[in-house]
Amino acid sequence: MSVERCGRGASFADLVDYWAGDLTGADAAQLEAHLFECAECAKYLEEVVALGHAIGEGMRGAHFQSIVTDSVLNRLSRDGVRIRSYAFEPGQTIPCSVWPDDDLVVSRLRADLTGYTNVGLVLAREDGVEMSRIVDIPIGPETTEIIDAVPAARLRAVPSCRLRLVLSGTREGREQVIAEYGLEHTGTETR
Amino acid sequence: MLAETIASAPAGTATDAEAELYRRFAPRIRLFGLKHLRDEAAAQDLVQQVFIVTLERLRAGAVRNVEAIGSFILGTSRTMASAQRKVGSRRTALLDRFDDRNAMAPPIDAVTFDLPRVVRCLDTLPLRDRTILILTFYADKPAPEIAAELQIAPGAVRVARSRALARMRECVGAPDKARPTGGSR
Repeated sequence: MSVERCGRGASFADLVDYWAGDLTGADAAQLEAHLFECAECAKYLEEVVALGHAIGEGMRGAHFQSIVTDSVLNRLSRDGVRIRSYAFEPGQTIPCSVWPDDDLVVSRLRADLTGYTNVGLVLAREDGVEMSRIVDIPIGPETTEIIDAVPAARLRAVPSCRLRLVLSGTREGREQVIAEYGLEHTGTETR
Repeated sequence: MLAETIASAPAGTATDAEAELYRRFAPRIRLFGLKHLRDEAAAQDLVQQVFIVTLERLRAGAVRNVEAIGSFILGTSRTMASAQRKVGSRRTALLDRFDDRNAMAPPIDAVTFDLPRVVRCLDTLPLRDRTILILTFYADKPAPEIAAELQIAPGAVRVARSRALARMRECVGAPDKARPTGGSR
């Protein structure tokens, strides 16, 4: 199988666009007709859809840490995922806990990101031991908040301690700390 | 030619050809159903309904162009999905009230991937690409909406999405369950 096209010349990228709703009208109808004639494209799309299904399962099951958007959080809430949210201003330290029935812990990190590229986020214990590092966070000119979603199960394993979140980026050719946030992690609470 | 075999045999006797036709087209009808009805149960219902009609018409010699059986199945899928959509809102309301909409599993012979492997592969993607896949496949966002959220161009979303999927397919390898493709149609 060619990486980009089927043996009959249809573009796999077009198949993905079709599935995502980015092909409409005659283009979508034409591709749909092709799918019912081409076993190769049908198999490709079936695998893409199965991958998408697994990605959805991974999100619903809070299986991985990711930077998310409000629309993803809204979808997670609709799916019944239990989310605990904390909002931080630069320099702020707040107490935070994780409860046994939490699925996801979300940190909303406000920051002035004007002019920054290569934005990254490090979560570390106060003694410097790094717990996670995220690089190349997608931001745009109007981004004022980074939303970091961490599986609650991962945080439940962390004993009570002080944690630091350090947001950094490159501006005018220099890597700089954009903002720091503190967490007084009190471990897992019980009701 | 499967459809010709079914159409030319006494009704109900070409069971191997009928099974093979089902094996080839059921996944495509299910995808069509998932795309247009956005519901696994409804998609699986559609597969059964379309096949009942297709086999009845073939057995009765009522399909005019059996060489274009794919086109016939697509047309039937469109007609029946349209009919299902009319009762879909009531079904959706009931599911929202009484059921977990994610609980319906894909059919047993559907392609699936091992979740831990998919999660590991997602972790290897650049964060922007991972976010685009999540917005596409979990939040059901088309490229222009993703572009607005990430403040990049829609064309960049489409290119990144396609590239990220290619990397994911390479990383996860063969699906756990997949029918042999068999045949060119």
